[in-house]
Amino acid sequence: MKIAVKINDVQREFSITPGETLLELLRREGYKGVKKGCETGDCGACAVLLDGRAVNSCLVLAAKVDGHTVVTVEGLEKNGELAPLQEAFLDTGAVQCGYCTPGMLIAATDLLAHNPDPSEEEIKEAISGNLCRCTGYVKQVEAIKLAVQRMRGGEDA
Amino acid sequence: MTLTKVSEFVRPRNLTEAFSLLEEKKARIIAGGIDVILFPTPAERLIDITALPLSGIEGGEEGVSIGATTTMTELLESPVLRGYLNGAVCEMLRQVASPLQRNLATVGGSLMIGHPWSDLITLFLVIGADVTYFDGEEHEVPIDRFYAENIHRRRVILTGINFPAVRRGTAAAFIKFSRTAFDIALLNCAALVETADGRCTAARIAVGGTPRRAKLLVRAAAELAGKPLSEEVVVQAARAAQDEAEVGDDIRASADYRRELVGVGVYRVLSRIRERLEGSA
Ligand SMILES: Cc1cc2nc3c(=O)[nH]c(=O)nc-3n(C[C@H](O)[C@H](O)[C@H](O)COP(=O)(O)OP(=O)(O)OC[C@H]3O[C@@H](n4cnc5c(N)ncnc54)[C@H](O)[C@@H]3O)c2cc1C
Ligand code: FES
Ligand code: FES
Repeated sequence: MKIAVKINDVQREFSITPGETLLELLRREGYKGVKKGCETGDCGACAVLLDGRAVNSCLVLAAKVDGHTVVTVEGLEKNGELAPLQEAFLDTGAVQCGYCTPGMLIAATDLLAHNPDPSEEEIKEAISGNLCRCTGYVKQVEAIKLAVQRMRGGEDA
Repeated sequence: MTLTKVSEFVRPRNLTEAFSLLEEKKARIIAGGIDVILFPTPAERLIDITALPLSGIEGGEEGVSIGATTTMTELLESPVLRGYLNGAVCEMLRQVASPLQRNLATVGGSLMIGHPWSDLITLFLVIGADVTYFDGEEHEVPIDRFYAENIHRRRVILTGINFPAVRRGTAAAFIKFSRTAFDIALLNCAALVETADGRCTAARIAVGGTPRRAKLLVRAAAELAGKPLSEEVVVQAARAAQDEAEVGDDIRASADYRRELVGVGVYRVLSRIRERLEGSA
């Protein structure tokens, strides 16, 4: 079957099988920032924005996104400039092996779009579905706080 | 993982069409799709009902109606639910999975798959929710009957869930025991207590993930009847709940541990209800 999806601001058409997942489609089409981890919804490495909300792309059928909008980590930068969240992850040292980073960035993007001034608790809750085996989550929480601060106009802590 | 049996994905325009598509062959409804992917069946046709007008939240203290395809995130962010029954539904949903799943998961999908450790079912039992479904005709049944009669295993389309009006002097609470907030419950507990002139006039207590699906504890709730919700009465009800609940072993926890949790859980939800009633008096 054919589907039409807006991915990272580009309108695209794909031929898919009705039973394949969005994760499989995206990786086949070269969106390799979308990571394949558990494929059971447990690790969050495959997270993308679907109509603006962060979801596990391994738990979504590609057929379901026909007519909808998807943003992958590749779509977070604008005109060659990293998004404030991405900058903050780099500056804070929140990236070690980096496997969890795309999913974390997507989850945090959803959070800040709906709650521009989150508490530490709310930040932790927002990334509670994203597993990281390298860091202790401390740096990611700091990075998100830094991004919030910068986006609200203040500079470094 | 690709669902290799699936050869057709359809979006019906109305409920009648959706139901006839479901009757014809090996077909399955898909809403959020989480369990459709994680627990595959031989279904060849998937019927996506998320484009039907089955989503939304209406009401207030006088009762709330929720459409089947409403997501858990939509429920959590709803001012209607924040104002209903001291926000107990939001208190529960914050402990369900993580935002990544709550953005997909629908209330209808959750009730139809009916996982024994479901946090929703435990709370909805004490709220006294009614489930509406379509099988050619519209039906409305209390949620305990919905599961007692295994209606969730039949070929039906769940259309929504209704919560009753809340009287003054009523409060509810929910608690989930799990290794991490994201993890599935080792056991969950909910209670609702109605009071008048400082005495309990009605109460419901439920425990789920025992590891079987949630059930109302009728004898434990009866301990509260006509009494003020004092520390002593709360302790008695928690003991009665431990005697009444049927608990068992599974990979998550032992029966002994679960029996302890029933006592602690019921004690805590009732204590929280007590604080909430005092706070609103
Ligand atoms: C990582 C993870 C963690 C989780 N943690 C929790 C937790 O802590 N607590 C908890 O309670 N749950 C938890 N869940 C379960 C989650 O709540 C359910 O998977 C989810 O609610 C299913 O909703 P859905 O819309 O995706 O269902 P779907 O997969 O679309 O459907 C589920 C089933 O119901 C059928 N169906 C769906 N909608 C209808 C309808 N309207 N009428 C008839 N049939 C229908 C489908 O055919 C399918 O069989 C977790 C799941 C995951 C993956
Ligand atoms: S690959 Fe999707 S959550 Fe792990
Ligand atoms: S940085 Fe390696 S998994 Fe998170």
